[in-house]
Amino acid sequence: MRNKFSAMIAMLLVAVFVMTACVPAATTTPEPVATLPPAVEPTKAEVPVVTEEPAPTDAWADVDPSGQQIVFWHQHTKARETALLEIVDEFNKTNEWGITVTAEYQGSYGDIFTKMLPILNTPDVPDLVVAYQNQAATYQLTEGLLDLNPLVNSPKWGISEEDQKDFFPGFWAQDVFPNFGNARLALPPNRSMEVMYYNSDWLKELGYDAPPTTPEEFKEMACKAATTPFSKATVEGSIGYELSVDASRFASWTFAFGGDVYDYENNSFTYNSEAGVAAMTYLKDLFDSGCARQVTEAYGDQTDFGNGSLLFTVGSSSGLPFYAQAASEGANFAWSVAAIPHTTPDPVMNVYGASVSVPNTTPERELAAFLFLKYYTNAEVQAKWAKVSQYFPVRASVADKMAGYFAADPAYKTAFDMLAYSHFEPPVPGYDFVRDEVEATMAAIVDGGDVVSLLDAINVKANEILADQLAQIQ
Amino acid sequence: MGATTGVTLKPPKKKIHSLRALQENLTGYAFVAPAVIIILVFGLFPIIYSVYMSLFNWRIRKGDFTGLVNYIKIFGDWGGFAIFIGGLGLLGLAYWLWTRAFKSNSNLMRILQIGAAVVLIVAGIIMSMGWGKMIAAGDEDFLNSLIVTIFYAVGTVPLQLAIGIMFAYLLYQKIRGKEVFRMIYFLPYVTPVVTTAVVFRTIFSSRATSLANILLSWFNAGPLKWLFEPKAMSEVFLGLKLDGIAAGPSLALGTIILFGIWSFFGYNTVIFLAGLGGIPKELYEAAEIDGANSWSAFKNVTIPLLSPVSFYLFLVSFIGTFKAFNHLYVMATPNAQNTVVTASVQIFDVFYAQNNFGYAASQSIVLFLIILGLTIAQNKILGERVFYG
Repeated sequence: MRNKFSAMIAMLLVAVFVMTACVPAATTTPEPVATLPPAVEPTKAEVPVVTEEPAPTDAWADVDPSGQQIVFWHQHTKARETALLEIVDEFNKTNEWGITVTAEYQGSYGDIFTKMLPILNTPDVPDLVVAYQNQAATYQLTEGLLDLNPLVNSPKWGISEEDQKDFFPGFWAQDVFPNFGNARLALPPNRSMEVMYYNSDWLKELGYDAPPTTPEEFKEMACKAATTPFSKATVEGSIGYELSVDASRFASWTFAFGGDVYDYENNSFTYNSEAGVAAMTYLKDLFDSGCARQVTEAYGDQTDFGNGSLLFTVGSSSGLPFYAQAASEGANFAWSVAAIPHTTPDPVMNVYGASVSVPNTTPERELAAFLFLKYYTNAEVQAKWAKVSQYFPVRASVADKMAGYFAADPAYKTAFDMLAYSHFEPPVPGYDFVRDEVEATMAAIVDGGDVVSLLDAINVKANEILADQLAQIQ
Repeated sequence: MGATTGVTLKPPKKKIHSLRALQENLTGYAFVAPAVIIILVFGLFPIIYSVYMSLFNWRIRKGDFTGLVNYIKIFGDWGGFAIFIGGLGLLGLAYWLWTRAFKSNSNLMRILQIGAAVVLIVAGIIMSMGWGKMIAAGDEDFLNSLIVTIFYAVGTVPLQLAIGIMFAYLLYQKIRGKEVFRMIYFLPYVTPVVTTAVVFRTIFSSRATSLANILLSWFNAGPLKWLFEPKAMSEVFLGLKLDGIAAGPSLALGTIILFGIWSFFGYNTVIFLAGLGGIPKELYEAAEIDGANSWSAFKNVTIPLLSPVSFYLFLVSFIGTFKAFNHLYVMATPNAQNTVVTASVQIFDVFYAQNNFGYAASQSIVLFLIILGLTIAQNKILGERVFYG
């Protein structure tokens, strides 16, 4: 027995030495790179790839989508899911090719992302999947998505030039990825925007007749609110602003201070930019002055806003119906939304939203998926979808179909009018991981950490993550 | 002729035996086959496949074979790792010397005890050196997560067991409504952990109005940040400013440890109760006749005879804490920084957020080997002390 054991140990040692000998000289840990590797053209065996310039021949012309049964993974629940299922039903009944779409709820954006990673380029992928731009970029590291450019520009199946121009230019461009040879990896069905929610009645009590437009005004009002509770508040205590530590909030405040979190010319994160430092120093000062505090529970700011103990909060416009409900069922006051106070001449609004991508399957199924996407983003369907979902539509012409809705929901109209000032967070792979790190950094800052050194450190880490991710592009 | 015919008609006895043996063997294998297949497919294959993945630069898709590069990335270089393992070896030597000391005569015992103490100190220094080298050159995030995991295990398991045995002993007495109490204590274990973790997150929020802080205010104590506090408990409660491992777990981790204890003590209670039922009543009667009071009976009868159950629960709980994930993931806040990131959470992040499958697999293998090593050590150290009656 002992001999056998010794022999086993010896064999293990030999195996270890052999494997050690197999270690390549160069380490696999990539050095941070200042510039991107050369862009790659996603290749596809079945369908020739067409780049920005429309091809003289339509590679998709002979593909027949008839009778395809396709699956759509989404994250929508409640009224949004009901509306989406109605849209899908309508498509299934009316499309001339007999395509059947099955919409499946697959959990949150994060759940879908974790489910997608292991099945990319396998037969298990859905035909359509909801994905943020950075998630789509991660999928494309394996060339797992279809470049929609050839289909969008296909004379037979594509979206007409007039219709393409009807999309808000910023939204339309957001799904084109320079890192992947300007491939279009998705089409946008909706968008949201980071807005500032404010309690109008409380502002009036404090002696202000309009929301703040500059950081100085914001601080003055927030600090006044912290010591002057709202008369209709249903709970004790008051505070001016509640900050949820979140990478999108970081980006929104940096945009408002005239900067960006990403340098698109040099392809690198810029969390320690002058504007980033100014924005975080400003927020820290709000905390130090007792005018702001951190959101510590899920949707805690929404609850506090509703019960009248919170004057300002910043969040997604997709939360409009939930804020309306919280205010009416809580302290019952007048409220609205406005741009995040800014140092720039015009507001700079952080607009985001998941698009819908088409994973690689077969040409027939891919075409069927695209035809559903085309239907989903047409003006009629967009109007219906925007009204139910409270997301923003992605096409300008939809505004004409929503006049009644705008009148009924002035806060939505206010936010919609700010779409002209859109700006975006970077659509790069690995951004999910960077977001986690940014959140920890923001938490450290509001807990009293040094802004400059923390932002320097996160910037280095974010760029290391980016370099590591981009090194996977072959 | 006839005799010859008879011989040829009857197959040889040996052949019959071997055929029967083969038949019996085949029947046996057929019965065993389903279990073997299940163990191979769902038990061994994932482990072997993880080892295979860990040898490649496996991002979202499989890359080049890289041998032990992923492991080197964890430990930095083999030098630091070898020094650390050497320290562990010396720790084992110290333990051996210490146990030998008690089996020797008094003179030798003193020498062996002193020897064990010296070796222990040297082991500590060497392990510390090795660990420092690994932290400097290796994956600091993963190595720190191992420390957090050990803090979590050491903070959770002994208290879980102590509370479990105490409640089991109380419930074993003749008290009214003990079935109801038994059910109440078992409830935290059967309630979905994600739900209870979310509730704990609200109770231990950093708000002054959180339930935990309201309780503190009854004792004129100021609010604490609980799950949002990255500072060590030694600093929060005692004002000690210590660095690194010496500082101990953060208050955020301490709060999660509290959840772990609350969640699992009920299970331990029920298992201990079953163990108590197996102790013959006559032993207590005999102890009573010999003049033992309740404490003596508990110490000298109950504890030794429960040692097989305690040993089982200790092993299972220890392994469980090393693999714990759900509540740690739910209760982690950005403010706690990396003080609540255990090895399993770190591996999850590397797998999904960094999409570095090969490296995550190598981390899993390291964690697996640590659990295996600790289990063997516990089996050796504690197993010898188990009293089977």
